[in-house]
Amino acid sequence: MSEQAAVAQFTKLLENATLSRLERMRINPRRRLTNRSRGEHQSGKGGSSTEFVDYRDYSPGDDMRYVDWNIFSRLERPFIKLYRHEEEMHVVIIVDASSSMQFDDKFERARQLAAAFGLMGLMNVERVSAYACNHQGKEPLLFPPCTGRISRRRLFDFLETIPAGGDFPIDQAVDAVLRRHRGRGIVILLSDFLTFGDFQRPLNLLFSAGLEIFAVQILIPTELNPELTGDLRFVDCESGQTLDVSSAGDLLGIYHEHRLALEEELGILCRQRSGRFLSISSQDSLDWVLFDLLRRKGWVR
Amino acid sequence: MNWPGFLALNGAWLFTLLAPLIIFYFLKLRRPRMEIPSLALWRSVLNDRRVNAPFQKFKRNLLLLLQVLLLVCLALAAMQPFWPSGADRARYLPILIDTSASMAALDTAGGKSRLDAAKEEIRQLIDNLLPDQKLSLIAVSSTARRLTDFTDNKRILRDALEQVEITPVVSRLEDALRMTQALARTVQIETVVLYTDGNVPAEIDFELPFQLNYQKLPSAGQNIGITAINARRSGERWDIFVRIDGSKEAQMTAGVQLLHNGKPADDEVISLEPGQSQRIVFHVDAEGAAALEVRLKPDAFDSLASDNVVYLDLPVSRPLTVYCPPDLTSYRHALGGLAEITLFPDEEGKSTASSYDLLISDRKSDAAIDAAVAMFVGVVPEDLSKLVKVDSGSAEVIDWQRSAPLLQHVLLTDVQIAEQPVSAEGAGDRDYEELGYEILAQGRAGPLILKRDDSGRPTFYLLFHTDRSTLPFRVGFPILVNNAVQLAQQQAGLSEARGQSTGLLASRILKPDTGYRITDPDGKTTDARSNAEGLLAGVPAPGVGRYTISEGGRDAASVGVSLLASSESSLASVDRLQFREVGVGAASTMLKSDRPLWPLFAIFGFVLLLVEWWYFQRRPSGMPTP
Repeated sequence: MSEQAAVAQFTKLLENATLSRLERMRINPRRRLTNRSRGEHQSGKGGSSTEFVDYRDYSPGDDMRYVDWNIFSRLERPFIKLYRHEEEMHVVIIVDASSSMQFDDKFERARQLAAAFGLMGLMNVERVSAYACNHQGKEPLLFPPCTGRISRRRLFDFLETIPAGGDFPIDQAVDAVLRRHRGRGIVILLSDFLTFGDFQRPLNLLFSAGLEIFAVQILIPTELNPELTGDLRFVDCESGQTLDVSSAGDLLGIYHEHRLALEEELGILCRQRSGRFLSISSQDSLDWVLFDLLRRKGWVR
Repeated sequence: MNWPGFLALNGAWLFTLLAPLIIFYFLKLRRPRMEIPSLALWRSVLNDRRVNAPFQKFKRNLLLLLQVLLLVCLALAAMQPFWPSGADRARYLPILIDTSASMAALDTAGGKSRLDAAKEEIRQLIDNLLPDQKLSLIAVSSTARRLTDFTDNKRILRDALEQVEITPVVSRLEDALRMTQALARTVQIETVVLYTDGNVPAEIDFELPFQLNYQKLPSAGQNIGITAINARRSGERWDIFVRIDGSKEAQMTAGVQLLHNGKPADDEVISLEPGQSQRIVFHVDAEGAAALEVRLKPDAFDSLASDNVVYLDLPVSRPLTVYCPPDLTSYRHALGGLAEITLFPDEEGKSTASSYDLLISDRKSDAAIDAAVAMFVGVVPEDLSKLVKVDSGSAEVIDWQRSAPLLQHVLLTDVQIAEQPVSAEGAGDRDYEELGYEILAQGRAGPLILKRDDSGRPTFYLLFHTDRSTLPFRVGFPILVNNAVQLAQQQAGLSEARGQSTGLLASRILKPDTGYRITDPDGKTTDARSNAEGLLAGVPAPGVGRYTISEGGRDAASVGVSLLASSESSLASVDRLQFREVGVGAASTMLKSDRPLWPLFAIFGFVLLLVEWWYFQRRPSGMPTP
């Protein structure tokens, strides 16, 4: 891409064409997890929007402005008109920015997806906040909740400037995020989920916090199909721990079994909490993920 | 229980390479570092493998184990291990291979011959030859022929074995055993292996200086063959006697056809019970020389083909020429009563013939007369003049060879002799034998009748004069004369003819000191030369068929040679060979040789290499398909 073309791009993360397509899409949660604040999501409760829902008998003390006088003239009984209450949904984006995400273009794909989900949230008048988790023991970087189209620039700037590196496990990162976050909605977890921790607790916390889980596992090809032979000494990029492996080629079969088992476990944990899980390769086309895969899975519409 | 042995124990030094191998292996364990996003998955993978793999510790150092195994295999192969057969292992092992006629017998129609079966066994011996073992192949027929020196060169041994062919002659083991005995003077021979079908003489005149391993091959199938053919003159015709023998396996039927100068003359059909023989008589007119051929055509499977055709050459018929001085009236009188004889000198005292079939004389000077058979009466040969002299006195016959052709049916008991041949003092029978004489009749003081064979021409010496004895008045006298006549007739081939058997061509009188070329049935030629007397002898005739003797491109004679051996045709086999002092039984099992194991270790090492390569290059199981 030439420099001139790069300058013309709204953000380095997504092309303009992709942005224009994303602006017409919105996140499709399963549950109705909204906040009291006024938004575009219809609440189950009565409200003051213009969308009529039902009638009910008048009770003393009701606001006389909602009495349907046409019905009263015909039936000589007062009925109150009920309108749907529209609330806003909070979209929380948690980006794993630890060192494990630095391999290949794993982190780049996480930021692109975060930008895409954030854009969809902002364009649909949701409250969007984002967290980037780097170093264990430190507070995650926060993109404070904001709403509206006008916040796009700030969101993209935040995502573009997230520093990579650190040793923050994603399970503990969720804990740290929930200590600061308030509000119901959905949470978008962008990570490789390769951690020693247990995922049950953080997912339970997210569920109890009223956040519908959208978990995306991003792996690189060398994690999906490693081609290793002989005796090796693996070094964990985050902790620096080592692990000696003999006849690595012989273990690849077991490795794949465990990788698939991890996917399966994460998927089950998410579904048990009315959430969703998806594992993608960093080499998958972004357009295919956004406009084909997520649509077919019902994540967006 | 047998334990493996090692031929090259110094190859064990290769085991010392284990030390550097292990050292280098652990030095190599400085594994390449590889940074990965997380150890989480790999740690669980290793935990899983340790739980599920029963030999995970073993597998952890599998590469080292494979390399150690490979080195052990190479070291063991270098030590040249072998699996002992249980038998004593001989370093020098002569292999005697019977190549006589019976070894050509097939087991079934289109099957393999006994020689092929022997070759298979010997081929295994050669293949399993250990590095310090050497074999020598010796072909045995009526004689012995050394095919190879003692060698461990398998290629030479295999080539020599492939060139072994059947020689259709009667088998005799003595020559081969003597040859092996001679070899034992140069190398240490403990065991000799004999491969034969068992169709060998059961008694062998030989003293075994070594152990003989008698490997008797499986029996062949049924056989029928012609084992004898001869002819006897009967007036104006020849009676041809053909003897046909069958083996003991089954009853057989065959057609017998007689060819007279190549043209069918007669045929018959015979049926033989198992193990029986039958004689057939054909009649042929005695018009002149004739070449007869008798063919046997069995109706069923016949395991031996070489005994199905025989040849017989009939001579030209003529009267026997006999020279007898007129003063030997008793002899002339006896000869006068015999038919088919022309007696010289004739009544007019003339002797027109240049040579005679029979010479009977009492004169030393007549020794110059050319005669096929000579009998001198009252004559002491010059070369015996120092050994024997004739004194006055009386002598009597003490003993005589009753089976000698001249003395058959001649009773010499109580014959009074007025002369007494006396041996010189200290002279014994051996002295006569050393001069080429055979004593046919023995008196008290010395020999009475001697025989000498000069180039196939027998000469008899009656050291006493029969006119000074009572012999002419005895019944045995005309029999003696008749025997001499029959000998002369046989020598001239006038009275009977016998088939020539394989081995050597019968010696014959041809032109003196002349070169001849003998062409065998296969077209191979042999050159031979007659001696000063014209005797052509010692010509090999190893095959069945017609031999042509030619001189300067012109045929001089033709001789049909046949197997004519009832022992070979019967395919009978002996289970035990009796030598002078010991007997040797046939081995119950085929000879087992020490089996070299180094090829197994080499192959195992190669397989280990392949396994190692495959193990580290194979695609792991459970890999997702793209």
